[in-house]
Amino acid sequence: MVAFCVAVTLVALVVRYPDTFADANETARANAALDLVDRDVGAGNSVFADQQLLVQARGLIPRDESFAVAAGDPQPGWTDLTAGSAEPFLRYYLLPRRLDPNARWIVCLGCDRGAYPGAEAVWEGEDGISILRRAS
Amino acid sequence: MTVRALIGLAALNGAYAVLGVTLLWALRGLPRWADVLRLAGLGYLLGLATFGIVWTQLLVVGVPFGGWGVVLSLVGGTAAAAAAGIVLHRPRPRGFGDPDRHTSGPALLVTACGIALAGLLLEAFFRSGRLQSLQAYDAWAFWVPKAKAIYYFGGLDHGLFTTLANPTYPPIVPILDAAAFHAMGSTDVITFHLQYWFLVVGATAALAGCLYRHVPPWLLWPPLLLVLVVPRVASGLLIPQADVLVDVLFVVGVLLLALWLRDGRGWRLAAAGVLLAGAGLTKREGLFFAAAALAGTFAASFARRRAAWPRLLAVAGLVAVAALPWRLWYSTQGIGGEAPSDAGAGGSVDRMLDALRLSFDVLFDTTLWSVVPVVALVAVGAALAWGDRRVAAFLAVVLGLVFLGGAWVTFAFRELPITAEEALNPIVRYTGAVVLLAAVATPLLLASVWRSGSEASS
Repeated sequence: MVAFCVAVTLVALVVRYPDTFADANETARANAALDLVDRDVGAGNSVFADQQLLVQARGLIPRDESFAVAAGDPQPGWTDLTAGSAEPFLRYYLLPRRLDPNARWIVCLGCDRGAYPGAEAVWEGEDGISILRRAS
Repeated sequence: MTVRALIGLAALNGAYAVLGVTLLWALRGLPRWADVLRLAGLGYLLGLATFGIVWTQLLVVGVPFGGWGVVLSLVGGTAAAAAAGIVLHRPRPRGFGDPDRHTSGPALLVTACGIALAGLLLEAFFRSGRLQSLQAYDAWAFWVPKAKAIYYFGGLDHGLFTTLANPTYPPIVPILDAAAFHAMGSTDVITFHLQYWFLVVGATAALAGCLYRHVPPWLLWPPLLLVLVVPRVASGLLIPQADVLVDVLFVVGVLLLALWLRDGRGWRLAAAGVLLAGAGLTKREGLFFAAAALAGTFAASFARRRAAWPRLLAVAGLVAVAALPWRLWYSTQGIGGEAPSDAGAGGSVDRMLDALRLSFDVLFDTTLWSVVPVVALVAVGAALAWGDRRVAAFLAVVLGLVFLGGAWVTFAFRELPITAEEALNPIVRYTGAVVLLAAVATPLLLASVWRSGSEASS
């Protein structure tokens, strides 16, 4: 019985070990092929069609300020995850900037800009995505 | 990724190991350097769990978490453990080898092969993790934001901890991640995947080190290596979530309890208590895992209950006392909803049977876990028939309880569909604990069968 268990385990190990080793090597190669921004954005590449929004948001919104996310109807260039996952992803990605519906900074995803009178667009991307700043 | 971040992470994890090894020295003494080396993995897990448990309590009472706080707590904890060791007159380790133990040439060769294969695999995991971007939904949706909140704001920030997804999940993983951020000097969410690599290395060393003296190497290494390479385990090892940590703390805790049932050495019980308390503060199911492990130990020690049960009650008390402050904290923050929708008798019998069938299908899915559960089942049966029946019954009870716990989760949370789809039902992730315990139990059980066969034939 003991020999049977060890034999079955060894056969499974002989089958699985090379595959797992090769998978790890493949992952290492794929990760090394990414550029710095791709790595930094990570899952955000699946949420936003354009990384520039994330790069600009980190550059423009001061670390000690807060931001709001305003989403309108999905636009043609958005991914399947943009509408549902943009806010939680931005909340993670932009920390220590806090999420606050009344914030001066607004990440606008196809939003109705008329709802923010006096707000200026400090950056505009494609597919209705922009960063707005309200007068303080 | 910078060299500074790598060195910082290595230093932090080295400090966890030093803290834990010093605790082990105080608990049991480490007569030879070979003991230090053999138990370094267990020491690492003990240090990590102790750090997480202590900081959970400190954060709950409002102590700010910062770089110097991390350093002071590790240095202070190590100094306190060293002082306890001195007070208990523990001798310093001397010499390397153990003159009372003789290891045969073939056994040494198998050990060397096992270490080499494990090392090769861990090196490949290191390369795959060192430039890994953050992809897992749960990681960026709440685990890492909680860690960033602790790192940036120095505590359990009310605004984030009460509004992120799964606010009742305990905070050890965010605490360890925040400590890693301090060690790296930034919230480098790429390099910090290596924090999880250190955990895998420590866990592998802990399991091998705990089993080394109790099973021959040809029974130890095949199941241990196999569980590292089965598809669902290998693909999830470096994901920065709580699943691997809770499974590892629980399984090493159960292993120590199984060995304690055999030899009654008190230090095993103390170490198991710390690990199970850590599991209870890592994920919600960690508390259930700890309860299952202790219930099995109570049952298995029934024959010597007068001596054993007061000690076990002390361990259960430690787990409960460690778990309580966090639960009180989130209750006072107005966070509820942890209980399932059908905790009582509201669910139907059909759903119960469907949940059981799903758990069974997932456990014996060879595309996920290869042959690990099947071999473990045979090992349990063989040990119940011919081996160490008490340890076999203990492990069978714990495995059975944890398995049933998974079915209960599907049954009781009515919003979970009956599916193995991981985005919809956590049963596959949950079953990882059963599989890891099965893999670790296998060598212990088979060794008892082998020994009984050898004794019978001699």
